[in-house]
Amino acid sequence: MKHSCSCKTKALAPATVLSNEKLGPRIFRITLQLKGLGAKAFAAFKPGQFAQFEVRDLALPAKYAIPADLKDKSRKNNILRRPFSFYNVEVVEDSVILRALYLVLGAGTLRLSTTTAGDEISLVGPLGNGFSVPKNKKLALILAGGMGAPPLQHLGTFLAEKHPEIRVAAFAGARSKADLPFNLVKTHAETELSFCLEEFARHNIESHVATDDGSVGYKGFVTDLLQHWLTKNSIDPAQTIIYTCGPDPMLASVARLAASLNVDCQVSTERVMGCGFGVCQSCAIECYKPGTQEKIYKLCCTDGPVFDSREVAWK
Amino acid sequence: MKNSVDISVNFAGRQLQNPVLTASGTCGYVDELSDFMDVNCLGGFITKSITLKPRLGNPTPRIVETDSGMLNAIGLANIGLERFLSEKLPLIEKLSIPVYVNVAGQTLDEYLAVTEALCKCKALAGIELNISCPNVKAGGITFGKDPAQIESITAQVKKLCASKTLIVKLTPTVTEISDSARAAINGGADALSLVNTFTAMVIDIERRKPVLANRTGGLSGPAIKPMAVYLVNKVYNDVAKQAKIPILGLGGIQTGSDAIEFILAGATAVSIGTATFSEPNCCINVIEGIKNYCLRHKLSGVEQLIGSVE
Ligand SMILES: Cc1cc2nc3c(=O)[nH]c(=O)nc-3n(C[C@H](O)[C@H](O)[C@H](O)COP(=O)(O)OP(=O)(O)OC[C@H]3O[C@@H](n4cnc5c(N)ncnc54)[C@H](O)[C@@H]3O)c2cc1C
Ligand SMILES: Cc1cc2nc3c(=O)[nH]c(=O)nc-3n(C[C@H](O)[C@H](O)[C@H](O)COP(=O)(O)O)c2cc1C
Ligand code: FES
Repeated sequence: MKHSCSCKTKALAPATVLSNEKLGPRIFRITLQLKGLGAKAFAAFKPGQFAQFEVRDLALPAKYAIPADLKDKSRKNNILRRPFSFYNVEVVEDSVILRALYLVLGAGTLRLSTTTAGDEISLVGPLGNGFSVPKNKKLALILAGGMGAPPLQHLGTFLAEKHPEIRVAAFAGARSKADLPFNLVKTHAETELSFCLEEFARHNIESHVATDDGSVGYKGFVTDLLQHWLTKNSIDPAQTIIYTCGPDPMLASVARLAASLNVDCQVSTERVMGCGFGVCQSCAIECYKPGTQEKIYKLCCTDGPVFDSREVAWK
Repeated sequence: MKNSVDISVNFAGRQLQNPVLTASGTCGYVDELSDFMDVNCLGGFITKSITLKPRLGNPTPRIVETDSGMLNAIGLANIGLERFLSEKLPLIEKLSIPVYVNVAGQTLDEYLAVTEALCKCKALAGIELNISCPNVKAGGITFGKDPAQIESITAQVKKLCASKTLIVKLTPTVTEISDSARAAINGGADALSLVNTFTAMVIDIERRKPVLANRTGGLSGPAIKPMAVYLVNKVYNDVAKQAKIPILGLGGIQTGSDAIEFILAGATAVSIGTATFSEPNCCINVIEGIKNYCLRHKLSGVEQLIGSVE
């Protein structure tokens, strides 16, 4: 079958699975390699962008290996692609290595979980607009909720490498320790916040952890953790920016906090997507028409997924 | 395999270089898919529905995937006539293939106003009249379910665009689609397109609520293909063949083989809808597939296949 196409900014291209590992009961890490036209397009991939994975041709796990709560859901052919972010994108000679984390939630991610080294997955991307770095920022506060972590980890690396003038602090929240898609490392400080995240620490980015159940780090929401941090650190609102990705209620509360602090804030949103490239109109997200209270719909896939938090009309 | 077979077809008096077009609402207005395929390689292009004023569309969720298909209740979200004319028409003028604009409305006057403005545009080959959208409260499908109304709206639209091809897009959600087809032809349709989506529903059993904010939506994709093939064959045999009115067949087409099935059933050309979402260059692959079929069966073209199922 003819698969690759000659492309401008986006590619439809096959990626080869280099590895696909189980990190936790439902969390997987997949590493993919693109060559040729795919590599050309993805070399320009920015933190916050995403790709659409074709899952329809991938096999389901053996019946006995499908978790009971997903058995009914798995009885479905997936005609639509599934959107994923990457936590790391690396150009290696003439190829591009993509690394993603994903949570197994339904038939599509169950199919993805069965892939092994050497398998091929068709990707469409890079899609959407990633995070941007406004001028004159000196401090970036990164707030990751659950599976919102990957694009923010990518951003953290990007800021450390490309914007040494910006100090970065990362805050990751999850329901419990097992849901945290990061490597925890113990710090020397013997306080409730005695853990940090290896993925950020390796770039000398300070990091803090919150869990809803207190199984590790601060007990509570990641927004509370940030407020706790703000009591000990003073910021200049004009020179600060918040970047966040996670479930909608968390994004809404981060947006409120940013507004109350008078700090710029970029949110990375998620919507169910039919296409991912602007033709189906399914991923509508309620926004304000610039400068007004009038509500309009923007498209998560092409106008986003990253929006200025003031743009979004939070429920 | 050599690809030297001429698969052009005559569609309502116009020669299309091949019988593969886009389906309304799945391929944007003109250039959205150009990263993935050369639009000039298609048989023709059908735009997203255009209404007189911009429409925001329905609340979300607007789509849900089903087994081998999907439901949508987009609600005709579109940029409206004015922006279409100022932003998209100049791009359409640069294309070398026929472009048909899909027209929708809530009232007869709205259909007529949009048609009148579009018919002045030299670059457009014709209009696809959408009287079959299941996802808006007024207009759309309400015109398309009653043969008397189908005939009347078709006749009034045709009067305004006599020089252009008028395709009337039918809903499958009726008891006798041949009556709809006959009414459209009596009203002056130059071609028929079928099918639009089938009205359907998905329920979230945990929340005990419909998944779509609109409650119901239109089913599309491979799940509807056998029903669409049947309806194309029925309309071809009951009405279209005798009236010499070409059918644009659509519903679940993903491959050249699917397209050939529609052509054998009676379609002169086909449209690719939902398949574009997973395979943005699907139209090109379908064209290749049709050529391969012709070569494999030593055919000199596809026109001899139209309606030739035994
Ligand atoms: C821009 C973007 C980036 C994403 N990045 C990641 C990522 O890096 N890692 C990751 O694990 N997941 C990510 N997701 C979510 C991921 O796409 C969904 O979890 C996946 O599509 C579920 O597919 P499924 O067939 O397994 O489950 P389904 O049976 O389709 O759905 C299972 C559950 O997930 C929800 N869901 C389905 N599609 C989406 C969607 N597009 N966005 C949010 N929720 C959805 C459903 O409502 C349902 O509750 C991202 C989504 C978007 C839009
Ligand atoms: C997301 C979506 C949006 C659509 N929007 C329109 C539209 O605006 N006007 C229209 O006439 N048909 C619209 N359709 C219907 C398609 O053009 C087509 O008739 C139908 O989906 C069946 O073909 P398919 O199975 O190949 O998608 C839409 C379909 C989908 C899936
Ligand atoms: S997912 Fe199709 S328009 Fe955004």
